[in-house]
Amino acid sequence: MSTLDVGTYSPREKGVVGLLGVLGALLLLAVVTGFLAPAYLLYLVGLSAMYMLLSMGLNVQWGYGGMINFSVAAFFGLGAYGTALLTASGSPISGGVSPVVALFGGLGLAAVLAVIIGYPTLKLRDDYLAIASLGLAEVVRIFILNESQWTAGSAGLTGIPLFFSDWPVLGDLTYPYVFYAGGTPVFNMSQSVVTSFLNVVLVSVIVAAVYLFLRRIHQSPWGRVLRTIRTDEDLAETLGKNTFAFKMQAFVIGSLIMALAGVFYSHLVLFVSPQDLQPITTFYVWVAVILGGTGSDRGAMLGGFTIVAIQQGTRFLTDTGALPIGAAPLRLMLVGLLIIFIVRLRPEGILPPERELIWPDSLGGGRDE
Amino acid sequence: MSEQSLVSDGPILGKDDPVLRAEGLEKRFGGLVATDDASIEVERGTITGLIGPNGAGKSTLFNLVSGFYEPDAGYVSVNGVDVTGRKPHQIADQGMIRTFQTPRKPEGMTVREALLVGPHNQTGESIIPLFTSPDTVEQEERRSLEQAQEMLERFEIGDLATQPATDLSGGQMKLVELARGMMAEPDLLLLDEPVAGVNPVLADKLAGFIEELNEEGITFLIIEHDMNFIMRLADPIIVLNQGSVLVEGPPEAVRSDERVIDAYLGGPSE
Repeated sequence: MSTLDVGTYSPREKGVVGLLGVLGALLLLAVVTGFLAPAYLLYLVGLSAMYMLLSMGLNVQWGYGGMINFSVAAFFGLGAYGTALLTASGSPISGGVSPVVALFGGLGLAAVLAVIIGYPTLKLRDDYLAIASLGLAEVVRIFILNESQWTAGSAGLTGIPLFFSDWPVLGDLTYPYVFYAGGTPVFNMSQSVVTSFLNVVLVSVIVAAVYLFLRRIHQSPWGRVLRTIRTDEDLAETLGKNTFAFKMQAFVIGSLIMALAGVFYSHLVLFVSPQDLQPITTFYVWVAVILGGTGSDRGAMLGGFTIVAIQQGTRFLTDTGALPIGAAPLRLMLVGLLIIFIVRLRPEGILPPERELIWPDSLGGGRDE
Repeated sequence: MSEQSLVSDGPILGKDDPVLRAEGLEKRFGGLVATDDASIEVERGTITGLIGPNGAGKSTLFNLVSGFYEPDAGYVSVNGVDVTGRKPHQIADQGMIRTFQTPRKPEGMTVREALLVGPHNQTGESIIPLFTSPDTVEQEERRSLEQAQEMLERFEIGDLATQPATDLSGGQMKLVELARGMMAEPDLLLLDEPVAGVNPVLADKLAGFIEELNEEGITFLIIEHDMNFIMRLADPIIVLNQGSVLVEGPPEAVRSDERVIDAYLGGPSE
């Protein structure tokens, strides 16, 4: 592993680390003082991690390869529905499959759809993928909404087991209990902290694995070809690179990561409905990637985290009664303001890529940044 | 006139060892005929010049042979392999690399990263070997880095290695393009106006580099409007007019050929 040498971090990186540290300390304080239930905090961590995954997935497509994908919600939804349809007791087609197996069902669905949508559009100019994916997201959502004989339609899928539910030891520790009101899950404080903790462990492992995987492919000749394609596809072609193949690979990898986020979401919230596939999810993820710094995986994670902070922070504001009106309607405005600030002050995002992306170790002696 | 007889009417075909052969290339854009029965051969080891008045079809011809346009009729081969209708990357794989009129500069990369894109078929361009054989990837990357540094030093831009590839002057960009092209180890380099917008001193330098590379066995096909540059460097020179080859011959003979002068001055050409 790389050695941690604080001296090599740029001021903005230090700033971000400092800010996150303060925020973490505040959250801990909130838990200690009983202001925030521990299970809820863990749930928030899980939700942030999910957005981090979505943002990293989009970053592979847009940040590395310059592909405009407006169907983040669809790939997320396929992951979520893929696993839910296989595992949930309320599933109209199957149910009862082990979540570990169902995981691959969700991923498989997303991969197939990525190839189907990518094959005709990735040969064309960028705009066509944007248009096709915009339509695709709605097609998937409306399909799920209307084909209730397979998907349970607008009622959504209930009875999704926890990811570790059928594991020997871990399964015994979990107490799946979530309270529903009018089809939407209301977070229930009685849900075991252990369960939430296991979810956090699970998602941390997933996020770390995805991040390390992406870091390696980003710093590789593969990533370099994609970055070339992003600015100039013709240039990559003249240098003998099969740009269609590279874009297809990046598109499928990105979609798989989004589906992974969906799978995790299903087993975190234990309920999915077509509501989860609203275009607003796609919009939030785009904001996250641009906020964080297009082309940077760390930036994407930070962006994902920021989005959750805004979503949940406004809820928190409402609860404290500090505002005369509910804060929820302010969410989009806050997001908008944040974007304006970022574009004015840091057009390249909070944590843009700052270093050369050359295969580690091949530079021999220390890096000269 | 003895010089006049050296100039061939139309292209000289049937050369001994052509790297690039194009026969009867035709390309129409709607009603406009951009190239019409254009045939050229580029003999291995030469620096071949391609000139002609604006709109003669030079860039169209480049785009046709490099696969960016699909010809309506005709045939292209590189190193004896038929590449008609193939994708640009497949043609590049046959050993022919082109540059563009306006230099292409990858954003968010340093100059040396931009050069590292050059080499063909890098192991690290496939995802699985990145995890199964990282050592091979590392060795190749090391070699490419050394090669990149050599190229940069050779073209006297070694100090630019870690500069952003977008912060370069026009002339420097042309040098980086040449260096990147060389990283792909081509047999034939197609250069589209290599000295357009480049100051005379650097243009001279560039001519020197091209001659050096040519002596090392690289074949060149160069489009250029700067007559002094191309006349000094290239032999033979192919003159394109109205979409097909007007004449081909040694520079001094082409320079004084009446048909060429007429074509440039817009005189009778039919």
